[in-house]
Amino acid sequence: MKRLIRLRVNGEPVETAVPANRTLLELLRDDLGLTGAKEGCGEGDCGACTVLLDGLPVSSCLVLALQAEGREVLTVEGLAQDGQLDLLQQAFVEEGGVQCGFCTPGMLLAAKSLLDAKPNPSEAEIRAAISGNLCRCTGYQKIVESVRRAADLRRAARRGP
Amino acid sequence: MRLPMFEYAEAKSAAEACGMLADAGPDAALIAGGTDLLVRMKRGLERPARVVSIRRLRGGLPAVARDGARLALHPLATMAELAADPLLEHACGNVAAGARAVGSPLVRNLATLGGNLASARPCADTAPPLLSWDARVRLQSASGEHSVPLDDFFTGPGASALRRDELLTAVEIELPAGSSGSAFLKLGQRAALEIAIASAAVRLTLDRPGGTILAARVALGSVAPVPLRARAAEDLLLGRVPNEDLIREAGEAAAREARPIDDLRASAAYRREMVAVLVRRALTAALERAGGGR
Repeated sequence: MKRLIRLRVNGEPVETAVPANRTLLELLRDDLGLTGAKEGCGEGDCGACTVLLDGLPVSSCLVLALQAEGREVLTVEGLAQDGQLDLLQQAFVEEGGVQCGFCTPGMLLAAKSLLDAKPNPSEAEIRAAISGNLCRCTGYQKIVESVRRAADLRRAARRGP
Repeated sequence: MRLPMFEYAEAKSAAEACGMLADAGPDAALIAGGTDLLVRMKRGLERPARVVSIRRLRGGLPAVARDGARLALHPLATMAELAADPLLEHACGNVAAGARAVGSPLVRNLATLGGNLASARPCADTAPPLLSWDARVRLQSASGEHSVPLDDFFTGPGASALRRDELLTAVEIELPAGSSGSAFLKLGQRAALEIAIASAAVRLTLDRPGGTILAARVALGSVAPVPLRARAAEDLLLGRVPNEDLIREAGEAAAREARPIDDLRASAAYRREMVAVLVRRALTAALERAGGGR
């Protein structure tokens, strides 16, 4: 039996009918066509399915779609505005923080949540913030540098030209 | 990985949740954060016909509330909330440290205190710290409510005093008089996303800074079928003015009380040795925080 739920995804209201056993990740990928969040392990160990739920990074493979009712979801598709990359995405491109790309959407969202709360994080804080997101390509160094660079870009943008 | 099908219901009050559990019988499961239940369902270890969500039962209540010497932790508080709670950090620092040690940031934003306790794993990171403060849990069913010392709550791996039709509705700590300090240490092969090889939570309460020990608690994780109080170690400390030798002896006593097993993470012998080290280090840190020491 399906149930009608309402939530906001990337700022847009969404109304959809889901069966009880649908996860938030399946709702995003299979029903809404938002394939940025990936299914890696499916058990909350890898972070490839990270989305922001009411501003906090969570493993969307461990959230029932029904439990996201009435809440705000941000996926990687919601980062770029008007065709312009978000400063975080820009920093990942410039610093080489992307290799195969499978972990990238999750890394970006975990990093966004960190920078929204702490505009000038230490390296230890960056590493802690992405400690639930596995990357098998980069060795993390370039990702940490990307987040560092994004923090600088954000602060520069806030000061204005 | 797909979840098997089930019926889903959302309770609007604790009483309604209890009613739903009673009606649904043995095939019902509670879901709060979902980080334990959904993994078990995906692996086929659990297949409830009905899942009762209690996510709306938090209302606007804070993660931690203090009323005089009484501290109440909300079972629906997430690990992330507890990890960052200033009240908890100040009063019972090792509980906040335990919450910080669970899973990853992504899991801690979902996982709840009630879930960490109700799943009753010997490795549950909040259990030894809460044992060190003599925490009690309140259990509610359609037929009434009662309070159980956490020390009597765990009965085996995955087993507890919580009946299938009961809801864990509060975690309560009565803060002791005197000068207290606490610590929690977790040993794993990595710093994040790790299940403890062994853990130790301790709490020392001194009659005054630099004084004698009024109360000592030593609790261990991942070295017995349940989160375990090391009572011989506690007895050794009681009434003494702590020093390095005493702390070392207490660590060794705790190691003798551990009942570890060999598994894929570590051997029983290694775990036992590490208990002595973890307890010694935790007691040293707790003593300093209690205002004791040289």
